[in-house]
Amino acid sequence: MSVANRSSSSPSQLKSAEPVVALHEINRHFQLGEQTVKALDAVSLELLAGDYVSVMGPSGSGKSTLLNILGLLDRPDAGAYLLNGAPTQDLSEEKRARLRQQNIGFVFQSYHLIPRMSARENIELPLILAGTAPKERARMVSEMLERLGLTARASHLPNQLSGGQRQRVAIGRAIIMKPKLLLADEPTGNLDTQSGADVVTLLEELNTQGITLVVVTHDVELGKRARRQLRMVDGRIQSDLRQSDVSD
Amino acid sequence: MKAPDLLKMVTRTINFGRTRAVLTSLGITIGIAAVALLTSIGEGVRSYVMDEFSQFGARIIAINPGKNVTGGMGGILSTVRPLSLQDAEALRQAPYVEYVVPVVQGAGAIEYKQRTRNVDIFGVSADMPAAWRFAVAQGRFLPRNNDARSSPYAVIGHKVKQELFQGESPLGQLIRIGGMRFRVIGVIEPKGDMLGFDLDDTAYIPADLALDLFNREGLMEVDVIFSPATDSTYMSALIKKMLIQRHGREDFTLITQDQMLTSLNSILSVLTLAVGLLGSISLLVGGVGILTTMTTSVRERTSEIGLLRALGATRAQVLSLFLAEAVTLSTIGGVCGLLLMGVVTALAFLFAPEFPIRPHVPFLLIALLLSSLIGLIAGVVPALQASRLNPIDALRTE
Amino acid sequence: MRAMDLARFNFQVMVGHRFRTIMLMIALIIGVAAVNLLTGLGEGARLFVLGEFSFLGKNTLIIMPGKKETTGGMPPITGEAPRDLTLEDMRALTRLSAINRTAPLIAGMAELSYQSRLRESFVVGTTHDFFAIRKLSLLQGRALPPGDPTFADAVCVLGQTLKRELFGPEPALGQWVRAGDRRFRVIGILEGKGVAMGLNFDEAMLIPVASAQMLFNQEGLFRVFAEVRSERELTPTRNAILSIIKERHDGEEDITLITQDALLSSFDEILRTLTLAVGGIAGISLAVAGVLIMNVMLISVSQRTAEIGLLKALGASAATVRRLFLSEALLLAIIGSLIGLLISESLLAAGRLLYNQIPLGSPVWVKVAAVGVAIVTALLFAYLPARKAAALAPVEALTHKQGP
Repeated sequence: MSVANRSSSSPSQLKSAEPVVALHEINRHFQLGEQTVKALDAVSLELLAGDYVSVMGPSGSGKSTLLNILGLLDRPDAGAYLLNGAPTQDLSEEKRARLRQQNIGFVFQSYHLIPRMSARENIELPLILAGTAPKERARMVSEMLERLGLTARASHLPNQLSGGQRQRVAIGRAIIMKPKLLLADEPTGNLDTQSGADVVTLLEELNTQGITLVVVTHDVELGKRARRQLRMVDGRIQSDLRQSDVSD
Repeated sequence: MKAPDLLKMVTRTINFGRTRAVLTSLGITIGIAAVALLTSIGEGVRSYVMDEFSQFGARIIAINPGKNVTGGMGGILSTVRPLSLQDAEALRQAPYVEYVVPVVQGAGAIEYKQRTRNVDIFGVSADMPAAWRFAVAQGRFLPRNNDARSSPYAVIGHKVKQELFQGESPLGQLIRIGGMRFRVIGVIEPKGDMLGFDLDDTAYIPADLALDLFNREGLMEVDVIFSPATDSTYMSALIKKMLIQRHGREDFTLITQDQMLTSLNSILSVLTLAVGLLGSISLLVGGVGILTTMTTSVRERTSEIGLLRALGATRAQVLSLFLAEAVTLSTIGGVCGLLLMGVVTALAFLFAPEFPIRPHVPFLLIALLLSSLIGLIAGVVPALQASRLNPIDALRTE
Repeated sequence: MRAMDLARFNFQVMVGHRFRTIMLMIALIIGVAAVNLLTGLGEGARLFVLGEFSFLGKNTLIIMPGKKETTGGMPPITGEAPRDLTLEDMRALTRLSAINRTAPLIAGMAELSYQSRLRESFVVGTTHDFFAIRKLSLLQGRALPPGDPTFADAVCVLGQTLKRELFGPEPALGQWVRAGDRRFRVIGILEGKGVAMGLNFDEAMLIPVASAQMLFNQEGLFRVFAEVRSERELTPTRNAILSIIKERHDGEEDITLITQDALLSSFDEILRTLTLAVGGIAGISLAVAGVLIMNVMLISVSQRTAEIGLLKALGASAATVRRLFLSEALLLAIIGSLIGLLISESLLAAGRLLYNQIPLGSPVWVKVAAVGVAIVTALLFAYLPARKAAALAPVEALTHKQGP
């Protein structure tokens, strides 16, 4: 396995010289009783369009905090975050919500599907929130279900679906708005091997189509599949490895 | 589990979900405050009305001409067999009778110099101030006359004096009522309104002259005031016997004041109760609130209940734990409701002292009891649900 | 987010949390139904009582002898005044072209007898036109004869109850009834009015006014009724009557003119206020329902924290989240109050079927107000929970509790 320090030569990566995400000296502290925990300690990071990045590290190393910051779910205490070249750290919560809606998709370990809604409705949710016209919505969701192989399960509620199916619904929901950045937090954590492999295949397929993919995981096997591998310890990026080639 | 421990657990739980507990109790608070306030107002109105009606005393028997009085208008209507001044005079001689007031009422113009005022005119007797508890503010009341025709004297109300004499002393002045001349010999102290009659805008003249004035044969009413040495039942029988003897038949109707007060009192008490019941619609909604939050509570605390059962709590203990929680919540609400009502009462007392609001302790206690009862009833279903949970299932839900 | 999507989302939540939705609805239903039902009952009672006391048309003037200047008090209802109101006075009024008809009234009690049956009863002296003014209809026979009111014809018309008490099932027409020292031939029987308050003609005997003057040995009239051609001419006619009587009474204006509406207005006012008070008291329960909505909504926010976080992660703005909760309350209030309205209206309708003489039913504005208050209360009390939900930080919301 060869390791390179400069960026590699994936075809999609060449499309844009501008980084999708640029973090500069990001700090994030939490107060736990008397103690201040530095979840992120002066973290700087650039993600380019089409990057496939895994974030690994022990529990409490700041992986999840990094993901939340990247996803505009959390605000840094200090530092700058540029999304598509525009600073985000001082934006109002409402503007950040809009940016999330248009640019970022989330996939969670525990799926976070709304239990009273069918697979179709869960995928449709971002479109509903964005106020897309129902006809347009129906077409987009049907295409998405087709693509995910879930057409037959469209009207099932989450508790009538298998774990793999649930996660595929969650991925469908994450990408229905065609975001540039897809953030996955332990996407295979609750899945058996076969379903996990299916989900990873799907995510990587999306990446080859140009989406910037960030996967936070404990799973070394999964982490090593990424072209760029970050390792975090105590709120810092300990290593940032890029491999020139990806083999299956 | 001992009672203090139970209480401690309950207060701990309530304290933990403080907002929820406050809001749950608030529903009951509003309901209890409404019930307590409304019954207090009802009670206030009742005692106000009773005072108003008993200002004439309770030992009055009113005699109206005619039997089978229609619509309470018996006295006003004409009759072939009138109640006469001689009847009134005869009643004066009866045992235990203290005062007798014959009554004729009409309206007419009083003229003094160039001024005229149209007012109520009462034909009465010398006994009227004592019988109706009116005080003469100036001069004296109509004199007693013995079977001769009365002297043309008049006593006027406070407002008539103001309007007609405008600062002059009315005593000794001659006034004209419907073409008859009267000399004013007294002024009645201000009395205010009574059932739509302004007692201050009234002139009082001897009843026999009033009959002449209105060209009427009979009296509209005779009021008999009897001594405390006897009671209304005896007096009614006595009066009835006397009048039947005089008229040859029972062609009159007796209304005793205490009878009237008793029925008025019971009507107003029923009204107070009805108003209280209206207020308890809010309590019903408050009960729905307790049922809802307690049920939600049971569902949320399923694992806690499982744990308690695993630790050896019996079903009865779980049941009493949740019941106690519901009762505590509603009782706290009840106490706060009474406090709220106390604040409103105090404010009313300070800023609108004449507003009839009179807290009635038994009603307040019932309201408090009611609040606890609502908690108990609303708590039964959720508490039973909690106690019936299977400990294994309950623990597994987390 | 589109309104339809919002509604569908709310609907799913409401179905998902069936128990609490139903409980909130019950609270709102009780509140709205209580307000509507109680005002409906009060209003029905008010109209019923007023109806029982309004026997006269709106354009009928009641003339009473005597006058009072006391403001706000009762009119001189005893009918006693130094100067009588006479049949001649009444006759003088008929020359006014705006007056359709007039009728005098002398009312008294007298003992009536037929064969051995005795009955103390209400005797009314009046004329033919009274039947039209008072809207009395006859079951049998005819009304008092028209013609000169000073002619003391010895005839009478009996109320239905009185006829039964004196004659039982026997025919009464043509029979002679004794009243005091006079005898009257029965020429008509009044149709019963059923329930009645006030002066009940079911138990009355009507005789010509001149006969009543003799029977009670009284010349003055208790009342005179004057039916004016139209309501528009009421005020000018009132003034004309006053000036005619003043002229006849040596320049003294010693009568009181009043319409029945005015006579009943303070009574009407009291009943209206009572109805409103009762409705208002019932309205307190809506406030309690509001508190319950707030409580349940707060619970809902804390239980759905993860969901709110997810929505925010998916790009829902704070405003959208707030709208989600507010619209849920709105939907609940609309459905709940409509059901409450429906229930109370059906109860009132059932009441009308059972007691068809009482016009039970609340005015439209009360229905609108009940629903309006329910909706405003729901929104008001849902505002705090909605704001709390909207203010949740997405990351805290997501990590708070794991969803399925």
